[in-house]
Amino acid sequence: MITRQLGSEVRWMLRRPRTLIGLFGLVLVPIVISFGIWTADGDGGGPGIAAILRGNGMVVPIFTLFLSLNLLLPLVASIWAADGLAGEAQHGTLRGLLVAPVSRVRLLFVKLFGLTAMSLFAVTLMAVVGIIAGTAFLGNDGMMTLSGTTLTTAEGLLRIAFFVVLVTFQMVAVGAVALAVSATTEHPLVVQAATMTSIIVFQVLGQFSSLDWLHPFLITTGFPGLVDVMRDPIPFDQISDSTLLAGCYLLIGTGLAAIRLVTKDS
Amino acid sequence: MTTSASAPAAAPSTTAVAARTKGLRKEYGSTVAVDRVDLELPEGAVLGMLGPNGSGKTTTIRMLLGLVRPTQGEIELLGTPLPDGAEQALPHVGALVEGPGFHPFLSGRENLVRCAAFEPLLPKKQIKQAVEDALERVGLAQAAHRRFRGYSLGMKQRLGLAAALLVPRKLVVLDEPTNGLDPAGTREIRKIIAELHEQGSTVLVSSHLLSEVEATCTHVAVLHRGTVVAQGELTELLQAGGSALHVITPDVETALSALRQAKISARPLGDGLRVELAGTSAPQVIETLVKAGAGVYEATRWKTGLEELFARLTEAEEAERGMSAVDTLDGGAR
Repeated sequence: MITRQLGSEVRWMLRRPRTLIGLFGLVLVPIVISFGIWTADGDGGGPGIAAILRGNGMVVPIFTLFLSLNLLLPLVASIWAADGLAGEAQHGTLRGLLVAPVSRVRLLFVKLFGLTAMSLFAVTLMAVVGIIAGTAFLGNDGMMTLSGTTLTTAEGLLRIAFFVVLVTFQMVAVGAVALAVSATTEHPLVVQAATMTSIIVFQVLGQFSSLDWLHPFLITTGFPGLVDVMRDPIPFDQISDSTLLAGCYLLIGTGLAAIRLVTKDS
Repeated sequence: MTTSASAPAAAPSTTAVAARTKGLRKEYGSTVAVDRVDLELPEGAVLGMLGPNGSGKTTTIRMLLGLVRPTQGEIELLGTPLPDGAEQALPHVGALVEGPGFHPFLSGRENLVRCAAFEPLLPKKQIKQAVEDALERVGLAQAAHRRFRGYSLGMKQRLGLAAALLVPRKLVVLDEPTNGLDPAGTREIRKIIAELHEQGSTVLVSSHLLSEVEATCTHVAVLHRGTVVAQGELTELLQAGGSALHVITPDVETALSALRQAKISARPLGDGLRVELAGTSAPQVIETLVKAGAGVYEATRWKTGLEELFARLTEAEEAERGMSAVDTLDGGAR
């Protein structure tokens, strides 16, 4: 029963026109980046990870996801979370599911699963397209790390896979909080606006050193540290901090969503 | 038409009731949507829930389906108390509440498949067949491949009905099922309700269309301003209280004074009298008249129409709309 509900949820998400448009947009990012680096022949510019992109196609997926995590991926996660509960309530389909019946806790689980599956799919898709586009435009001669060493292609792929998991987890954490908002309203746009405003405000707050006591609590603070997967060997402290922080967001978001959903009139 | 196995309210029935509410109350903030609703839905009945817009029909239905938590009161659905028994009872309940809710970007068939995936009683292998059967039953088979977005109001309503009928149900709850349907569509809905009734399902239909309820229901519950003002078997309700005798007599004056002496209320009407049967019976009235020497040409039982009953029960509101209720009273006689 549960597997068919989960399957139905993912199929439903994949059938949505806006999901397809969103995925198409996400796929364009690594292509545009690869193309941009390729045409910006010469100075190879930029600090940090951007500096090693030239002639290093395997870095494109990492750089793409790293860039997208700041705005694009939270946006997509918030859209899915918004459609999941607020959107269903708006169309009157939430009532149908509850009368079927699906228990409210299980419904939240189904929604969280859909969000996770689609996030993993989207991030993986971006990574795969990134590898292909990066290799095509910039060439592939192993993966150069930020520490200056070069990894074999197989090792590079492993690093990319690891990064995909980390980024997906951050995306799901944002989505879980968005789901909590989604459980309180019938207006999907409210959910997206609330989520994106928070992400942007968090990033602005992260710029003020006078507020550094606040920074460990902002999920956005953890985003840059994930790029440590590109060091050799990988220093795990920042990565584990970021993941732990995202885990807290995931737990709190899911908990709030559950509390709201269970007592909700629909 | 009166069945002898009536008066379910008096019997300490345990199994004969498909749904029951006790002292149901729902507040939204400071407004009370529903108050002191004691509803009884006998098994196998077609209960018409009647009431003006905003009388609490939909709120009551939503509480009955576990969608809304009552502020106060108890609900029993198919023998289990809600909300705890929801997972046990609801698989046997099909519902169309507050208009059909579907995804605009999916076709009618895809929408039903999604509904079916969440039906506990439907094995995976039977989903396809169940969806086709339901589409066929509501007459949507031809339009099943089209997107829900492009459906007419009537088609949307039919799809909602199809979703309620995906699985054989013990109880079907239809909230305003004929909204937006043309007369042919309305007849089809009535036919489906009659079929469900024949198969032994219990049906709860809410409506503000009186004729619809009168045509399809065995039982009626009238809601007004959030409370049940009358409920029971349709035939009984129509006979109770409101019944009168229409007596055709040339001696109106004599008849009136005789009846007045016998403390029977009556008033002149057309070529005769209208005699209220409250506290008396037809033979007694005729006896009184004959003894007084008033010639009785004809005496007809004045059957109360649902419309009149409804008008009386929801009087306050009807009064504001002028004489419309009285018009139907006279026009709808006999």
